[in-house]
Amino acid sequence: MSSSSVLEEIRRAEEFLVVGKGVWRIDALDKVTGRARFTSDFVLKDALHVRLVKSPIPHGRIIEIDAERALGLGPVRVFTAADIPGENQVGYALPDQPLLPADKVRYVGEPVALVAAPDEDLAEKAAELVEVRYEELPAVFDPLEAMERSDVLVHEDRGTNIAEMTRVRKGNVERGFEESDVVVENTYRTGHQEHAPLETEGAVAIPDTQGGVTVIASIQYPHLCQRITARVLGLPHSMVRVIQPYVGGGFGGKDDMGPVVSAMAALVAFKTGKPAVLVYSRRDSFTSTCKRDPSVVRYKTGATRDGRLKAIEVQIILDSGAYANRGPYVLWRATMHAGGPYEVPNAKVDGFLVYTNKVFEGSFRGFGNPQVQFAAESQLDELAERLGMDPLEIRLKNLLRPGSRTITDQLLESSVGIYEAVKLLGEKTGFRAKWREYRRERAGRVRRGIGIACGYHGISTSRGVPDWSNATVILGRDGSVTVETGICEIGQGSWTAHAQIAAEVLGVPVERVKVVGGTSDAPDTGATHASRGSSIGGIGVYVAAKRLRERLAEAAARLLECDPSDVEIREGRAFRRDSPDDYVEWEELVQAAYSMGYEMSATGYFFLPKGKFDMERGLGYAYPAFSYIANVAEVEVDLETGKVRVVRVWPALAAGRILNPVLVEGQIEGAIAQGMGYALTEELKFEDGRMLNPNFTDYLIPTSLDVPEVEAPIYVEDLYEYGPFGAKGVGEMALIPTPAAIMNAVKNATGVRITEIPATPEKVYFHLKEAGVVAGE
Amino acid sequence: MRAGGGGIVVRFTLNGREVEVTTRPNATLLDLLRNELKILSVRRGCETGECGMCTVLVDGLPVRSCLMLAPQVDGRSVTTVEGVGDPERLHPVQEAFVEAGAVQCGFCTPAMVLTAKALLDRDPNPDERTVREAILGVLCRCTGYAKIVRAVRLAAERVAGGVRE
Amino acid sequence: MLPEFEYHRPASLEEAVRLLSELGPDAKVIAGGTDLVVKMRAGLVSPRHVVDLSRLTEIRFIRDGGDRLKIGAGTTLWEIENSEDVARGVPVLREAVEEMASWHVKTTATIGGNLCNASPAADTAPPLMVHDATLVVVGPEGRREVPIGEFFTGPGQTVLGVGEILVEVVVPKMRQGQGAAFEKLTVREGALSIASAAALVEISGGRFVDARVALGAVAPTPIRALKVERALKGRPATREVLRSASREAKADIKPITDVRGSREYREEMSVVLVRRALERAVERAGGVWA
Ligand SMILES: Cc1cc2nc3c(=O)[nH]c(=O)nc-3n(C[C@H](O)[C@H](O)[C@H](O)COP(=O)(O)OP(=O)(O)OC[C@H]3O[C@@H](n4cnc5c(N)ncnc54)[C@H](O)[C@@H]3O)c2cc1C
Ligand code: FES
Ligand code: FES
Repeated sequence: MSSSSVLEEIRRAEEFLVVGKGVWRIDALDKVTGRARFTSDFVLKDALHVRLVKSPIPHGRIIEIDAERALGLGPVRVFTAADIPGENQVGYALPDQPLLPADKVRYVGEPVALVAAPDEDLAEKAAELVEVRYEELPAVFDPLEAMERSDVLVHEDRGTNIAEMTRVRKGNVERGFEESDVVVENTYRTGHQEHAPLETEGAVAIPDTQGGVTVIASIQYPHLCQRITARVLGLPHSMVRVIQPYVGGGFGGKDDMGPVVSAMAALVAFKTGKPAVLVYSRRDSFTSTCKRDPSVVRYKTGATRDGRLKAIEVQIILDSGAYANRGPYVLWRATMHAGGPYEVPNAKVDGFLVYTNKVFEGSFRGFGNPQVQFAAESQLDELAERLGMDPLEIRLKNLLRPGSRTITDQLLESSVGIYEAVKLLGEKTGFRAKWREYRRERAGRVRRGIGIACGYHGISTSRGVPDWSNATVILGRDGSVTVETGICEIGQGSWTAHAQIAAEVLGVPVERVKVVGGTSDAPDTGATHASRGSSIGGIGVYVAAKRLRERLAEAAARLLECDPSDVEIREGRAFRRDSPDDYVEWEELVQAAYSMGYEMSATGYFFLPKGKFDMERGLGYAYPAFSYIANVAEVEVDLETGKVRVVRVWPALAAGRILNPVLVEGQIEGAIAQGMGYALTEELKFEDGRMLNPNFTDYLIPTSLDVPEVEAPIYVEDLYEYGPFGAKGVGEMALIPTPAAIMNAVKNATGVRITEIPATPEKVYFHLKEAGVVAGE
Repeated sequence: MRAGGGGIVVRFTLNGREVEVTTRPNATLLDLLRNELKILSVRRGCETGECGMCTVLVDGLPVRSCLMLAPQVDGRSVTTVEGVGDPERLHPVQEAFVEAGAVQCGFCTPAMVLTAKALLDRDPNPDERTVREAILGVLCRCTGYAKIVRAVRLAAERVAGGVRE
Repeated sequence: MLPEFEYHRPASLEEAVRLLSELGPDAKVIAGGTDLVVKMRAGLVSPRHVVDLSRLTEIRFIRDGGDRLKIGAGTTLWEIENSEDVARGVPVLREAVEEMASWHVKTTATIGGNLCNASPAADTAPPLMVHDATLVVVGPEGRREVPIGEFFTGPGQTVLGVGEILVEVVVPKMRQGQGAAFEKLTVREGALSIASAAALVEISGGRFVDARVALGAVAPTPIRALKVERALKGRPATREVLRSASREAKADIKPITDVRGSREYREEMSVVLVRRALERAVERAGGVWA
């Protein structure tokens, strides 16, 4: 279907009945009454409980796995790499990750064997009794060191610890710096972040009578879980069914871990013929699942006296941990977003993904972008300071606008609302006045500051890789509507948005629509990540519903004796536009269409065309569209303890049409809280590769008393032509600029630039002391 | 009273009904509710007392069921979200959670609803700070708490405003 | 998974004591379980017998004893937080309890459990130490009283012998002219202390006639900061005196580096927390800065 016609139609529509409204979530009732079922709720009779045997060392050869004592406990089974019938490979970007390692372990916490027993306690005891003998190898933990070393290799066959390199070469940076009046250079560091979904990872696998398995799991992409599980078991894809029950938070982690836990549970079910339940303990969830990649970003920025950006030179080093997983994609995203949402004529960016002997990293809301935006947005404030400008001014001078080119030299023709968003945000918050006032005051123990930071985020797949959407819409004879999609509901509300889209297009109340999603039985809709769940995922629903609507309009025209183009269908009634009182009820219409022989189901496949991307120079079409965000944060810094309190955050979002303001606000509020935790309190500590705080006692995610007041968002609805009703992605946005907004506010309050997150009280305190802001005790 | 290895009989009131179950003495209340009684709205999030997913009300007050031994509830009254309301008769707190958009993934929701109910039963008109203090012990990774706090206050207004039948 | 144990629920204190002396060192008492169950799950303790004190009403009370307040060891933190008697007589205890854990934990966690668990970071300890509380212990040998300053012997260790139960905490109430305050530093709300401090002062004629300071999480046990106290007593209540006395805290403590903070940070923060607690205590004592 032609996309421009869709956009035209939407622009013409003055008001939507369902879209853009704060429709209640379709799953809320199940959730408030406690009836919602999550993976661990599906424990079947005769099920085997599965526990992990994990490596206690960061790097070593597996000499022997002795299960004798464990097996002696009773009806216990132990599975190792040797038991895998198919291919022992779960690597995503690179084939470097076994489900269970056969030869060596690469991080503390790596699962080396699975233990299954009819009851949980027995499985746990048995897991403790599996004895694995290792030959310890020297390990490397620091990515900067790992890059340089070739004597200690996390993956020997690769010959280097550098898993991937990326680059962008735009213009001529040497000249750019020559033309600059000021140049600012700094190194920024960010730490790990654990997703900490309140529901841990897990999967239940049930063998079927035909030799296949059905997997119920906490996931973000059923078809990927299907493919990986089938590969590990050596089965055709069709023999593996994957179903998502309710998922207790994903944030990207379950996109990566879903296939792993699915394959593990399926392996046990497949080998034993019994249902198998694998639920990660909180400790497992800390020690043995992917995290946000820690980073070191060296950043050099040049600008002219009047504040125009001239050149950036950036080196991004991501610590991938033991496996590459999504790392290459994360790194590419970081690389292509390194400039921030600004016009930068000359850019040189180099990215390195480096293996170390720590837990592997992976997808996490923002996907490499928070790391670089932290650096880019801190840089901008430093530059402004040198130029005697304020942070708002320098941003307004350089922000992308329609017609701008990104650092990959992609032309942005339309749907670029960031300039307007930042302008409105500056006015709403009274930014300039406050910023000047706090800067002037700087007295007393507790200081206030205000900071701004922007972000942008390419939606959908990157670098010219085509994206697609797919969904089936089925009308029942009773008029009920079923939407089938591969998109998962992980709390973000995509299914509600899907129901809204179908309801709007078909002209029925949203309550009539049921969404069946997150299953490999539905069409492959791609992963629920990259802020694509409602935006890209919704396109398929839109297209399918549109097909049905055309058929219904024809059927209605025959009943109402008019031309299909004169038919209106709204709120469950079809009528002639010129005589609304003369109508057919929805049920009646659907039944009539059935008897007239219309097909009352339709698939909506949509292929998203992409431009070219030159991987050598990192130039070209990076993403079909970008969503934009700006946050202003106001903080209080206790100089004597180093404690930073975020008092208030004002977000402004340019993400196309806001399909459901309540859901969008929820995403923004949640992302700000998560971004604040990332910036201030969430710190994983390691000693020789061993995690010191794999628990909520000392890995501190924000509570109800820590989160700031989040003001009502400013929305600039910069419609995107391929998005359903012009929507772009929302889910990741508000996290991306949050760390920089907070640290810019800390600078405003104290005069000290903190280049390292999480900025825990201790770190802030010693930074302030070093800078001479506090005398120390 | 004393019990070992084999099992121990525990009698208590669960959502208004008397129950009698035999359990291991080293089972927690969470184990008892989830594994024996199949009350699946009570969830395992950490088992170290930090996350609050296992919240139930014991004699009307919120507790960590993962830190309470099953035999410790003998003779007491336990409420889970099933005892607060059902789809046909939602409690005002549940209604408010739906309306205010306080639900995302829903994993923390039963614990939040129970805590809110316990709070409103003691303090029908809590200010924002009081609500935030009450739910401090229940983590939520999705919502940033704003809409949860709003929902609790909305429920309070409704209850105070005589909306309850 | 918890270790396997036998569960006992004595009906009286007397029965509990008898039971414990019969069962010997393999038995552990449980009150709220908010420390014990966590430790059992982590495999740090594996008692063969668990004796439940949570139903013993004999040790669950807050009683006014004239110039002293008596708090049963089985009293929950939630009851303490809501007690008018505590708010009036030992407000610094209430202040500390308010900042502890969360409602959900405090409904079952007890003051006796907090003390007997003997964490260096136990938040009820510094307030009770500045109040010179006395702990009443009952055991096979009868009843004895232990000044709180002598109760803790190391991380997780107390003077309690096999079969002994803490039954009561006796706290001298605040007097006219006294003021007290509690300070706690955490990375996040509801988290465990990096360091904490309590101070109690009495001012008369512009001078400190009494000053007591205690700290948590900066030594193997909660401790009194005797050097700080010495630097205050008899001296004029000026900011300068207070500031320089607070610095003595560094000499009173023996902090370690752990996952919550480094030794260096704890040293500096001890000074800050002591000073802040003292400042507020002086204000509450009605002290006017000289
Ligand atoms: C999420 C969470 C947050 C927490 N936050 C804090 C905090 O901020 N500050 C803080 O100080 N603590 C905190 N704690 C620790 C704990 O809650 C407290 O120490 C609590 O007061 C312990 O009391 P309890 O009744 O639960 O003890 P239990 O766990 O029942 O017992 C603890 C120990 O004391 C012994 N014991 C208990 N009662 C007696 C008695 N009467 N006589 C002899 N021995 C006895 C037990 O055998 C056991 O060894 C927290 C715990 C959790 C789970
Ligand atoms: S399961 Fe996390 S507090 Fe009980
Ligand atoms: S809604 Fe997901 S944890 Fe609260």
